[in-house]
Amino acid sequence: MFFQSTPVAIDRAHIGDTLAPFDVVVEPAALAAFADAIGETDPVYRHEIAPPTFMKVLEGKDNSSRRIMEALGVDLRRILHAEQRFEYHAPIRCGETVTVNRRVADISSRKEGLLELVLIETQFKSATGGLLGTSIQTVMVRNPKPGAT
Amino acid sequence: MSIDLASVALGDVVATAEGPPFDAQALARYAQASGDLNPLHTDRAFAAKAGFPDLVVHGMLNMARLGRLVTAHFPAQQILSFSVRFEGVLLAGQATTMAMTLSARSEGGAEFELQMRTSGDQRIASGVVKVSTFL
Repeated sequence: MFFQSTPVAIDRAHIGDTLAPFDVVVEPAALAAFADAIGETDPVYRHEIAPPTFMKVLEGKDNSSRRIMEALGVDLRRILHAEQRFEYHAPIRCGETVTVNRRVADISSRKEGLLELVLIETQFKSATGGLLGTSIQTVMVRNPKPGAT
Repeated sequence: MSIDLASVALGDVVATAEGPPFDAQALARYAQASGDLNPLHTDRAFAAKAGFPDLVVHGMLNMARLGRLVTAHFPAQQILSFSVRFEGVLLAGQATTMAMTLSARSEGGAEFELQMRTSGDQRIASGVVKVSTFL
């Protein structure tokens, strides 16, 4: 068994890293399935516009969150979703194609490095380039205590 | 049903809702619909190994429920921002209560605090939503 004397910090050089932008279509079936899963019965949020937390689904396409964490060298078993913020500029409509831009906005430490906070900022744009919204996710990484197994 | 902001004071609870417990089927459905396939939410043996006595409810599913509490009173087009801190773990089988409290208001806008707790009064999530009162 290997004992680490200090928590391994995430390399701060990753601050500002971006994921290649990708396009996601807001498929009618996906919107309806999401409405079912969250118990949403209002037809507006099934067939017309995305409900407030649907941006999280769009940004997570193709395991993008996992790919970011792996690029940072983070052990996926040690992460927690600590906070989530959404800002809304225009409704995301059923059937539209959304361009998703994700970047590592910040990495910081708490409790002498036992906890690290990674902020991932995601912007959603329409086909004409207009900003639809922003998602800011705070991921907490729990590093092992020095000497812990 | 919209909220008449003229008739409520700062600190007033303007809306509440009950969150029935999620079962394994509901968590599997959310996993599929959201693409969050972490086995903590769908595999009891995996959750047990991680130290949880039952499946863990997706934090984003709890946030979606708080979002429904908001959109029941303000259409999504009026929401300017919505943020949540995940404070505790909700397990499959646990019921929740939610509350929305007026915390600030300005000309053309209002801000509400959101709370989700278990029926045992354990904090699960808290948040803030800002809405515009004109479209």
